[in-house]
Amino acid sequence: MLLPKLAFRNVLRQKRRSILTAMSMTGGYILFSFFVSLLDGSYGNLIELFTRDHTGHIQIHFGNYLDRPKLFKSIKRRSELEAALSEEEAVQAFAPRVFAPALAYAKEKSTPVTVVGIDPAMEKNTSMLFHKVKEGNYFSDDVNADGFYPAMLGLGVADSLKLNVGDEIVLISQGADGSIANDIYLVSAKVGTKSSNERQSVYLPMFAAQEFLTMGGGVHEYAILLNHSDEAIDVADALRSRMQNSDWVLSPWQKVEETFYKTMQADQQAAYVELGIVIFLVCIGVLNTVVMLVLERTREFGVLRAIGTNPGKIISMVIMETSILALFSCILGFIISVPINTWFTYVGFVLPEPVDIGGIMASHMQGVLTFKVFALPTLVVVASAITVSIPPSIRAARITPAEALASH
Amino acid sequence: MHSKFTSCLLFISLLVPLSNNAAEVPSSEKARALIKKMEDLYRADSSFAQLTMRVESPHYQRTMTMESTSLGTEKAFIRILSPKKDRGIATLKQDKEMWNYFPKINKVIKVPPSMMMGSWMGSDFTNDDLVKETTLADEYALQLEETDDLYTITLLPKEQTITVWGKIEYTIDKKSMVPVQQIFYEDDGTKVRVLTYKEPKQFAGNLLPSIMEMIPLNKEGHKTVVIYDTLELNVDGITEEMFTLRTLKKRFR
Repeated sequence: MLLPKLAFRNVLRQKRRSILTAMSMTGGYILFSFFVSLLDGSYGNLIELFTRDHTGHIQIHFGNYLDRPKLFKSIKRRSELEAALSEEEAVQAFAPRVFAPALAYAKEKSTPVTVVGIDPAMEKNTSMLFHKVKEGNYFSDDVNADGFYPAMLGLGVADSLKLNVGDEIVLISQGADGSIANDIYLVSAKVGTKSSNERQSVYLPMFAAQEFLTMGGGVHEYAILLNHSDEAIDVADALRSRMQNSDWVLSPWQKVEETFYKTMQADQQAAYVELGIVIFLVCIGVLNTVVMLVLERTREFGVLRAIGTNPGKIISMVIMETSILALFSCILGFIISVPINTWFTYVGFVLPEPVDIGGIMASHMQGVLTFKVFALPTLVVVASAITVSIPPSIRAARITPAEALASH
Repeated sequence: MHSKFTSCLLFISLLVPLSNNAAEVPSSEKARALIKKMEDLYRADSSFAQLTMRVESPHYQRTMTMESTSLGTEKAFIRILSPKKDRGIATLKQDKEMWNYFPKINKVIKVPPSMMMGSWMGSDFTNDDLVKETTLADEYALQLEETDDLYTITLLPKEQTITVWGKIEYTIDKKSMVPVQQIFYEDDGTKVRVLTYKEPKQFAGNLLPSIMEMIPLNKEGHKTVVIYDTLELNVDGITEEMFTLRTLKKRFR
């Protein structure tokens, strides 16, 4: 018990030096904690935005549809699949979809489009589509009096064909049986913006799309929404074992939007490298003070050695002194960080100009309050303080009493 | 003038039994005459046929019935009768151009030259097979080989001919004078598809294979079978007016 007491006393003995060291470590802690909070917070927000936009957190396809989409690769036993989804508690909402490339005509103009068959009610709960309706009305399943089905157009399609709500649009494609799919639809709404991902899409009610493409009751995709994007991989595993159908391939969003995910990860890694540099600078500051501390106390260590103190004890004492300082700094840093990070988590700040990240516009930055935000800086600050104090402490232990007492 | 002369010559050469004449007519001329004859078998001056087409693939099977009318080699009109979903879809061929009409959307769409090798109505026949934009006898160099039962004509595209085939092997049955098989090769010599003629039947006094089976070799499990249910040749009442864009768009129940 003598050693900690000694170390503690030593820390208090040179108050000014201790305070300066503690300040640099506290600053490092606060900076680190804030950075992690903001980084995780804004990436988390971005991922939530992205997945809730249209991808969902998990998707189910037939076989390798995700890599090689083909019309015939469709999920047929839908009620069985939907029952399994409803049983899983983590699943908030899900929506079936059908996709096919097509050519859209109107008034002698044509443009390539993607036909997307959706269930209006289910889609509304799963993606942001309902909120993206800019003009007209979000459609329902019904045919109108003349037997036409409604269609919602991405803004790109509407613009290039110069179509407005109420106009007719002609779609031509190839059906799943090889026949030529062709039909007329009435524009019920325009959705999204010119740059949003649905700009070249034409949405049809599920039944109309299946009939158009001669698909029977099959669908190409189920998008599933969970409480949070973090759960995707675990819930996908749980669902996979629940379903026991090898033809249904479950992919968490990390797989569905692999490019987005990888870009995001690379970006995040780059940010952590920057953070590493900040910590490195803090470490140099700490190293400096510890070296100074050892040099200033050469005589003291010399006396300790002269009265027979074990070199190991001297090493332990120096390291302990820095550790005490580091821990204290972390506690102080934590006390200061909590209000800062809390403010950023619940309020955040608006970016002067939205940044486009993988097609999603990030308009403001927000932090996040997790265990990691406070634990990671503590770990890094204490670990780096201990690491940098090892070489000076060894130096202190190696001092020969004669030399030490001879110096001033 | 020239064409009249050639056709006259061809006519004569066809009238005389070919086997007796083999020594006198140059083999390439004979091959040419044979190909011409084969090409005209199903068409004559004018024709009217009822067809059943069965398209098979690993993922679906589909049967359509249709009516086909032709006048000379230049004009043809095909209308799909069933299934209900496709009823009324029509194809018009005029010279080397082709249009499709879709009644549901009341739209005529011209088949662009780039789509000529594309599939016709999802079958394994190309639009070009229907249009016969490339006339085999004129645009290919012909080589004739004979065995006891068969004529085998190897068609190699002439330099200026625009085609995707590097070679076509056309086999004709000597005795009945009907086509047996056509094998299509790519430029590098790989076999791409085989068209087989089967089950010869009498149609208005002419013996003709009633089934054509197209198998693309590069698409496993795909096959298209065309069955001639009826075929009338040199039909009265088939006139130029039946092959216009107006007729194409005419409402059809």
